[in-house]
Order: sequence, then C-alpha cells, then structure tokens
Amino acid sequence: MTDEPVLAVRDLVVEYRTAAGPVRAVRGASFDLYEGESLALVGESGCGKTTLGLALLRLLPRLGSTPHGEVRYRRADGSTVDLLAMRKEELRRFRWHEAAMVFQGAMNALNPVLRVQDQMYDTIRAHRSMSASDARRRCHEVLDMVRLEPRRVMPSYPHELSGGMRQRVLIAMALLLSPRVLVLDEPTTALDILTQRSIVDVLQELRRELGFAMVFVTHDLALAAELADRVATMYAGRIVELGDARDVFAGPRHPYTAGLIRAVPPVVGDATEISSIPGGPPSLAALPPGCPFSVRCGLSAEIGDDGPAEVCVQADPELARVGTRHESACHYSDRVEFAREVITDGV
Amino acid sequence: MSVRQAEAAAPTAPTRPVVLRVVGTVWRSYAFRRILKAVLTIYLVATFTFFLVRLLPGNPVEVYINTQMQRSGISYDQAANMAQALYSFDPGEPLILQYFHYLGGLLHGDLGNSIGSPGTTVGSILVAYLPWTLFSVGLALIISFCLGILLGMAMAYRRNGVIDHVLSVIGSLLHSIPNYLLAIMIVVFLGIQLNLFDVSQMRGAYSPGVTPEFSLDFFSDAMYHAGLPITTYVLTTIGSWMLVMKSSTVETLGEDYVTVAKARGLRDRRIATAYVGRNAVLPLFSQLAIAAGFVVGGSILIEQVFQYQGIGYLLFRAVNDRDYPLMQGIFLVITIAVVLANLVADLLYGRLDPRIRIGGGER
Amino acid sequence: MTATVGTSTLESPAAARRPVRPTRNLLRSLTRSRSGTIGFVLVALIVLVSLVGPLFTPDTLPTDTNSVYLPPSGSHWLGTDSSGRDVLVQVINGGRTVIVVGFAAAVLSTLIAIVFGSLAAYLGGVVDTIVVAATDIVLTVPQIALLAVLSSLYHLDNTLLLAGLIGILSWPTLLRAVRAQVLSLREREYVEAAQLLDLGTTRILSVEILPNMASFIVMNFMIGMTNAIYALVGLYFLGLAPLAGHNWGIMLNEAWTRGAIFDSDSVFYILSPVIAISLLQLGLVMMTRSLEELLNPRLRQD
Repeated sequence: MTDEPVLAVRDLVVEYRTAAGPVRAVRGASFDLYEGESLALVGESGCGKTTLGLALLRLLPRLGSTPHGEVRYRRADGSTVDLLAMRKEELRRFRWHEAAMVFQGAMNALNPVLRVQDQMYDTIRAHRSMSASDARRRCHEVLDMVRLEPRRVMPSYPHELSGGMRQRVLIAMALLLSPRVLVLDEPTTALDILTQRSIVDVLQELRRELGFAMVFVTHDLALAAELADRVATMYAGRIVELGDARDVFAGPRHPYTAGLIRAVPPVVGDATEISSIPGGPPSLAALPPGCPFSVRCGLSAEIGDDGPAEVCVQADPELARVGTRHESACHYSDRVEFAREVITDGV
Repeated sequence: MSVRQAEAAAPTAPTRPVVLRVVGTVWRSYAFRRILKAVLTIYLVATFTFFLVRLLPGNPVEVYINTQMQRSGISYDQAANMAQALYSFDPGEPLILQYFHYLGGLLHGDLGNSIGSPGTTVGSILVAYLPWTLFSVGLALIISFCLGILLGMAMAYRRNGVIDHVLSVIGSLLHSIPNYLLAIMIVVFLGIQLNLFDVSQMRGAYSPGVTPEFSLDFFSDAMYHAGLPITTYVLTTIGSWMLVMKSSTVETLGEDYVTVAKARGLRDRRIATAYVGRNAVLPLFSQLAIAAGFVVGGSILIEQVFQYQGIGYLLFRAVNDRDYPLMQGIFLVITIAVVLANLVADLLYGRLDPRIRIGGGER
Repeated sequence: MTATVGTSTLESPAAARRPVRPTRNLLRSLTRSRSGTIGFVLVALIVLVSLVGPLFTPDTLPTDTNSVYLPPSGSHWLGTDSSGRDVLVQVINGGRTVIVVGFAAAVLSTLIAIVFGSLAAYLGGVVDTIVVAATDIVLTVPQIALLAVLSSLYHLDNTLLLAGLIGILSWPTLLRAVRAQVLSLREREYVEAAQLLDLGTTRILSVEILPNMASFIVMNFMIGMTNAIYALVGLYFLGLAPLAGHNWGIMLNEAWTRGAIFDSDSVFYILSPVIAISLLQLGLVMMTRSLEELLNPRLRQD
C-alpha cells in the first residue's frame, strides 16, 4: 500500500430537486479509500448511503446533482483526477475501466432483452478494441472467477438465471476490465442465506486475488463485519462514525452505531439485549436542529433534563478523532457506553 | 443455484416418448399459441357473421326470401333456392347443415354472389378492392409507427425542452381530431381553397386507363392516388404513438439496467437503441393491433371522403345497395386482415422479447 | 449473516399508509395541470352551450332560398347553409345528441369494462381466461365496419339504441386497462389485509379497490366518450344513421353531400361542425392526458 489513497472524497454534497425545493441527501461526506482496502457504508434506508455510492461514479438520477465537493481518483500512473469535473466522454471512458460498480442482482440490473454474452461484449467493446475470440476468452475468465459455468450462462437471457447467478454475472461483469476500485450496492440483498454466503466467499476470494479496493453499501452489519477493513456509519446524509471495522464493532463511539449493533441479535448464544432504536430516520427535507440524531438518541436524553441535551440541539457535531484511526461525530463520544458480546470474528 | 437445473430436469423424465415431448414443446411454444388464437378468432367471427346474416331477427336471408315470395308469388322453397344462388348455403336446409355448408364454402373461398352486380362472385370483387386498402393502410401504419417511435423517444430524451412541448401539443391535437374530419379539412383547404392539388383526379386507386403491373410508373401512380389517405392515416395515428412512446421511454429511462449501462461506460447511441429503445417499444406492440383495427375500420370513412377505391369504399357501396353477401364477405375479410395484423405484431413482439419466447410466459 | 438492520423495526411507516380517496378531489385533480384545466373548461363550455343553448334558439329554422350559402355576417355569424338556415343556431342545437349519445355509450362501455375487468383480474383463473379471450376477439372486430353492416339491417333511428350499440362494441380497450389496474391494486397491502380479514369479494372490490380507482375510471370513461363520439359522428357523416333532427354529424353530411365544399363562401358552414367536434374531442383528450399524468407521476412535468 502506498500513502496516497486511490479514492479521496472531500466534503461531497448531493442534492435532489423536489417539488418542495432542493433536498440534500448527502451533506458533506469525506473519506479516503486506500489501495486494496475495503470500506463499508452502513446505515438505515434513506440515510444517503446508496446516493453516496452512486455519486462515486456520478450515476445520480436526473434530478440529483453534486453542487459541492470532490471525488478524486488516483490512476495507476499516479495522476489524480476529479470525477465531478470530468467531461462526458472522459467520464464514459473512466467508468468501468478505472472504477466499476456491482449493482443489486435482485434489481433489474441486466437488460432483459439481451443475452448475457451480448451485454458483456457491449461492455468490452465500449472500452477496448478486442478480437471476438479475445473478448470471449475474457468473458470466460471472469465468469470462471465467480464460479459460473460460462458455456451455460453466456447464451442465456437474464430471466433464465436465478437471483444468485445474476448477482455473480454482475460481479463478473464488473471485473471484465480489471478496475482498481469497485463500488458494491447491497450485493447480497434479497438473496437467500446460502446464496449470500457463496457471494461473500466469492468476493473475499476475488479481493485476495485481484487486490482491488472496494466501497460497499449495505444495511447488513454482519456482512460489513466480515468483508470490511473499515466501516463508515451514515446518518441523515452524513458520515457519523468512521474507523477500522474491529474498533467500530468492538467499541462504537457514536450512539447511533451502538444502537445499530444492539439491534442485531447475535448469531451464536443468547442475546444479552436486543433493542431497536426508537423512532424512524428523519426526513431529509426537514432535519431537526443541531445533531439530527438527537431526537432519537438515548444518550442525549440521559444527559439532558427533559429531552435531548442542550448542545446536541444547538450544534451538529463534526467528525472528530476519537482514536488512532477512529472518528466520531458526537458531542459526547467519550460517554458512549457499549458493553456487549459482539461477534465480529468467526461468524 | 442448481435449483433451476434440477427443476428443469425433473418433469422431463427420459421415459416420456419423443413424440409426446415434441407435441408438448410445440403446444407450449409462443408462436403456436398465437397462431391457434388467430385461427380461433377467425372461426368465431365467421360464426358470428353467419349468426348475423341468418339468425338475427330481420336477417337479410329471411327478408330476401319473404320479399321474393311476395313479389313473385313463389313458394318458400323456390325463394330459398334463389337465395341459395346468392349465399354459399341453402336456406331451405336445417340450420346446422346451412352452418356447415357456409363454413365449407368459406374454406374454399366461396363467399357467395353479389346482389348488386348479379353474376359476380363476392370473392372476385374483394380481390379487386382489398389490395388497395391493405396497401394504403399497411404503409400508413408502418410509417406512422416508425416515425412516432422516433419522435416519442426524442421527446423523452429532451423532456421539458422545446421539442417535447411543441410535439406534445401537436400530438394531442392530432390525436384528438377524428380522422375523417382531418380528411375533410384536407380536401376543403388544401384541395379546394388553396387548390394545391386536384382532388377529383386523385380519386380511385389508380388513374383510369392505367393497368396494374409491376412497374415504377404504376407504383408512382398508385402512390399518387393513395397519398391523401395515407397522409390522413399517418397524421391521425402518429400523435398517440408519439405520446405512448414518450411515456414508455421515460419509464424505461428510469430502469436500473439503463443506469447500469451508463455505469459500464457504453456509448449513448448503443444505450438508446439496444437498452432504452428496444425495451420501450415492447408495450407498443399490443397497441399495434388496436391501431390496425381502428384504421382498417376507419377506412370506410376515409375512402369515402377521398373516393379511394378500397374495401372501405366498397363496404359503403354494399351497405347502400343492401348487398348482403358482399357486406358479409367484406366484413369477414376486414376482420381476418386485422387478426392477421394482430398475429404479425404478436410474433414480432415475441422476437423482440425473449421473456415471451423462452420460458413460455403469457403477457 | 441473517441479521439485517432496518427490515422490521425501522421500516418507514409510509408504505402501510392508505392512499387518500380521490373521489372528492376529482375536480381538483382534473384541473391540476394547465392542459387539464383548459380541457375541462372547453368540455364544460361545450356541454353547457349544447344543453342550455337550445332553450333559447328556435326549434325549426325557416328555409330561405334567397340566402343560400351566405358568408358570415352580422345577422348570420357563421353564415347560412344550403337552405339558407343560420349555421350558428344549428351548431348550438347540434351538440346535444352527440354529447348525450357519447355519454350514454361511454357509461355502458365503462360499466361493462369495470364489472368484467375487475372480476377477471380479481378472481383470476378460468374467469380471467374467458374474459381476456373474449376481449381479444371483440377487439379485432373493426367497430365502424360492424356498425355500418348493422345499420343496413336495422333502422338506427333511436339514439339510445345507437348509444347501446356503440357502448357494447367499445368496451375491450377499457376492460384491458381496468384489468391491469386491478391486478396491480390487488397486490397492495390494504387489499391483502382485507383479504386476510375475509371481507368477501364484492366488499373488497367495491370498498377497497374501486374507490381507489376513481380517477382511473373517469379517465377511461373519457376515452370511451371520445371513441363513441368518433363512431357516432362517423355514422351520421356517412348517412348510415337516419338523418333526422339536428346534430353535428348530420350537418357534416349535408355540407359534404350538397357540395358546400366547393363554394368558398360556405367554408364556415362545413367548418363549423368540424371545429365543434374537434374542440370537444380535444377537451376530452386533454382531460384524459392530465389525469394520466396524475396517475403516472413519471409523466409529470417536474
């Protein structure tokens, strides 16, 4: 690993135009991703994690925009480039070649009227001039990597494949051009448990062999614990905690992360305590003043007399260092208590 | 992941005879089912026509027999014999036999004889008129469908832009004006007020003195005569194609696979054709049949306005002459044409959408 | 691997919310967009003039052979026809039949479409198969052609009979739309809940599903009316329906067959019914489109 991150996101803001005016789905996110590293973005639905994932490749829907921030990639030759400043054709060449994305296989991520092979050839042809037999060989290679049978999968239409097979095809497709960064959006959602397992195994193995860096968006903490080197917790469009996976899961320093972990029952043994976080995520169009989590925060309520503590209502805390490689955005990060047998290893 | 394979293997146990398996495959095939449906529809419409001509109170056969009996003072059987010369069945026979003779006649292309032009078979009259309607309506549908799709996609890609707004207004306008009113306006304004062309010369399917043949001259003459009907059909159907294609494209643009295609760095042209266009056009195919029926039915109005000698013009004449065998033949032929157009649209749809072709799902 | 955050405990409450009943908001939704408002005003105006206007105009107009095919003037705003009758009065008197027959035919075809479409979608199975097959077959029969044939068998002088015939022939497209809509509504939570509570088919259809379709039904009703008016005026124009009384179709037929088109002074005569019908159709189409946008938010201009 070098010291320079392969992907550096700085103060990224994503806005959606709505009938009621612009709404910020991501409110100033910053993080670094180093070569070969794996970062998990976790949080509830609607916290902006998928939006952030899409923004990393500038794939926001029509009504989305990035009024502020930087998404800087470092190419193999060491030069850096800001994705948000790229022109259309430059962006097209960059996508998939430098950074690819694995979409949810459960979604309609594959064109229903084209065979898998045609969609794979399309991808190759858009970036390289390659002979038909070379392209075919490359497709076989990547399908082998995800343990699919090329001869059976290539001539099939998406609807002829199972959910797990589609997910593997999407992973294989992402590997076609050997990208250095991979963004994964809920790669195991809506798959049955055994299929999830095999997808995770494939991802682990590929990462070991190919050494790409990856950002994966998930609401599945167990998956994050298993696949991630580092974890970023998102709440109401902000990263509220960022740190090495081991540190974050063993000792979260933000009450929200702690709450998320407590809401997951342990796989082995009896739950000492399973509790959900009261309330739902706030509407991004009308955030409460100060720390957006304060209204649901048990810690803040404990400190304050009647309702959340005063400082929580007054100021939205910035990410601040709480350990060597651990940051938290909480006024009382030193008072977050977390005593629970958490199973991060050996799941 | 091997669940699917296991499922597929289970029901086709190797013990089943080959013939049965082949029959099963054919039975399940999309094309076969569509063809079967088309045949069934034609059969039902033929039966309905028989019902109309023979069974309904005040049906033309009975009316004809009664008039002949009163006028010439002949017996029922004699009058029935005269009716037999007109229709492909003998009204004196039991109904069920009449029905079978009628169906048998249809199978041999025997549609009876015309009352209006005695001694002429309905079949021979149809052969002279039908091609012109098929030609003008078919060409108009193809032009309108293709053009409408292109414009609709342009509207969706540039939605809320100038093109979108202008075409939306034009589309709504064209969509709401009944086609015969547009035809009248074309004749009144372009033909008579502005005198851009001589409407009376454009009557008929081709100019008098010209013989139908395979030559450029004849084709351009035919196009000259079909020009106004085709223009009318195209203008009055293109609006709805545009609007439907626009909404379908807008919907498709929101699909995940389009975002994924962008993420894969595909070129815009490739995304627009193979990813957006091809998927967006699919729902339009089921409406192609409706449009075909509507335009073919509307030809009775349009061909009357332009005096274009196609099947619609003929139907109007037959109705005015009370030429029932001819009417019956025209009605059948028109419906069969629509059913066949429907079938072609269905089969094309199957070619474009593998989910229909393979995996045997109904729409 | 099993545990996920946010599936049960943190689910957003919006999904379970019941949609607002659109019945009383119908007028509001019709006039939500500019084109919808224009369409509504257009149709309302034409209907009003056609229903109220005849009360203030003479029933029979005097023929005057000295003032045949007059161009518009102060005494005849839209000129006169081949018998010297005032065109404006004919336009005012000629809308009622068209609107009433169109309305009645649309009521009939919408009723058929709703009853059989929702039953087919809701019950599924054999009922669905039969209804769909019947729809496909009726759909292939060209309406105007069949009406023309029927006009030679029966004297279509009763406007209600005419409305009935048109209505009976024009339900298939509406039925398809209703069936598709009910199929998608059937999957929603509140219907599922009603099913689990065993509330009975009729109750679920009439209480849970149909009220949620009010805008949709109105939209299809207007499509039905557009089609019925097309067929009706077409029949009159061809002279296949008896030419008795005044209506826009008959005006059209007379203007066309009596050669008004060749006289440049009588352009307003032939144009008057053409424009009246086109405006009515345009208004209906605009209303339909605005409801369609309402029902399919992706079509909205954002």
